[in-house]
Amino acid sequence: MKKKQLNWSLVQYELRNIAGNMFVIFFGVIFPILMSVLFSFIFKQQVPKEAYSQAVTSVFITMSMIIPMAVLLIGYAANYSQELEKDIPLRLNLFGFKERTMLAAKMLAYLIFTTGAFALYVTVDFIMLDLQIPKLSSAICLIVSLYVLSVFLFVLSHGIATFFKKFGPTYAVSMLLYFGFMILCGMMGISVDQLPKSLLIVAKLFPMSYISSDFISFWQGGSYNFIPLIQSYLFFGAVCFIILILSIRKNQRVIK
Amino acid sequence: MIIINNLQVSYGSQLALSINEPITFNDGDRIGIIGSNGAGKSTFVKTILGLTNYQGSIVTDLKPEEIAVHMQHNHYASTMAVKHIMEAILNTRIKNNKMLQDLITFFDFEGCLNKKYASLSGGQKQRLTIILVLIQDSPLVFFDEVTSGLDFETRQKLMTKMGDWYRDKNTTLCIVSHYYEELEQLVNKILILEDGQVVDFGDKDQLFYNYCGKTVITLDNTPKNTELTKNLKKLNAPAHLIALSCPNSELEKEITSILIKENVNYKRSNNDIEIMSINAKAHFSSKKAGGMKNEEKTA
Repeated sequence: MKKKQLNWSLVQYELRNIAGNMFVIFFGVIFPILMSVLFSFIFKQQVPKEAYSQAVTSVFITMSMIIPMAVLLIGYAANYSQELEKDIPLRLNLFGFKERTMLAAKMLAYLIFTTGAFALYVTVDFIMLDLQIPKLSSAICLIVSLYVLSVFLFVLSHGIATFFKKFGPTYAVSMLLYFGFMILCGMMGISVDQLPKSLLIVAKLFPMSYISSDFISFWQGGSYNFIPLIQSYLFFGAVCFIILILSIRKNQRVIK
Repeated sequence: MIIINNLQVSYGSQLALSINEPITFNDGDRIGIIGSNGAGKSTFVKTILGLTNYQGSIVTDLKPEEIAVHMQHNHYASTMAVKHIMEAILNTRIKNNKMLQDLITFFDFEGCLNKKYASLSGGQKQRLTIILVLIQDSPLVFFDEVTSGLDFETRQKLMTKMGDWYRDKNTTLCIVSHYYEELEQLVNKILILEDGQVVDFGDKDQLFYNYCGKTVITLDNTPKNTELTKNLKKLNAPAHLIALSCPNSELEKEITSILIKENVNYKRSNNDIEIMSINAKAHFSSKKAGGMKNEEKTA
């Protein structure tokens, strides 16, 4: 038996594993499209005609974050914790796959899947909704922000699942975080600036708040102070990696 | 190939496995690992695989990826057809891999390839892991209770096929099993564990000779048979059986002629692992009890 390296078969396997999870398909692919289309219909009746396009674009930017949150925070945590519960990663490890190889395959597969979900979301929304065309730099900024967020959410989910090693508590914690982020970061109908002061301080710790509230301001040009956004990314990334490290340390085998 | 010495594995405060005398596995050995539930069999396998915290030494020239294992419980993703799992684990395509195709045919697994893991039967699940383990062609392979939970016919078929597969190979096999008749066909060495301790380890025939004699004759434990055998040397045996030790051919002939004359059904064996292990454990227990008494006396 040879040591197994990262290969396309393993990435394909992980892609099939994601596609076989109906929760991820619905909440990560269909739900953001449905939500953005639904909000556009509501806005048509409530928002003045001249502000409509900007309002719909703002919803489009905000709802785009549901994709990484549903696919990576909930979908991956649920999937991986179930695998851990059944010792599937150990079984693959005994077939010669190193943990880091399996992790790399999973991350690649989830990023490929997320890319597909983003592409579908953008295509459908641009066809169906009256979206403002972004400046190239603004579009790149959103894409980079979403991918960095995806990687951090992957790390966070991996950490939570590895910490608990059971589906029940992992799912409970990831759902709590999912809805917490949705409420705090303006994805549940309350915008970030409408939050009470104490919650606003907490919301400002997460990059999702800046994406949902600020990105529309420079979507078609203009200046923006990126420092708070970068700081929030650094904070959120640090928390995610600390949780991952703690979970690995908790489950570490000690050879005496 | 592998030398284990002064090994201790604990789960919390409980000592799960303690090996004091060196145990050596050589190339081509076929080792049966037996013992009651909780004897430390799976702990032994997991420790060699590096899956437990242990104290002591396991010296081997093998890399971890050169050891293949069929664990007691093996699970796979149920989100896709089994063929995709096989192709991912082996990084191959079934249609391009002759050896894999042969193994799939050998184990009658063609009809399962498009099924999801959760919809396979117990025997089919076991065969999936066996195929994946056998194709690795590793120098050391562990099978931990590979046939537990399977019906008699499926067990027999699986073990026959495994025996056929390894017949001309120099692979070292370690088979953990509660089904001694399977081991009688496949192994040449036996490791007996009890309460986390090694009762004995060695050549199967030699162990049989040491604990049972040349041959063993077993018959039903009935009042008539008890009366008939009251003056003969008995071995420890399961409650429903009487086991008679035959240290030489003359005594064996004498006993069998009596049994034939009295029209008593009996079974003769020169490799009955069950009777051998029962007597080995009894010997081990009495030795341990004797040791403890001596310690008490000294104290």
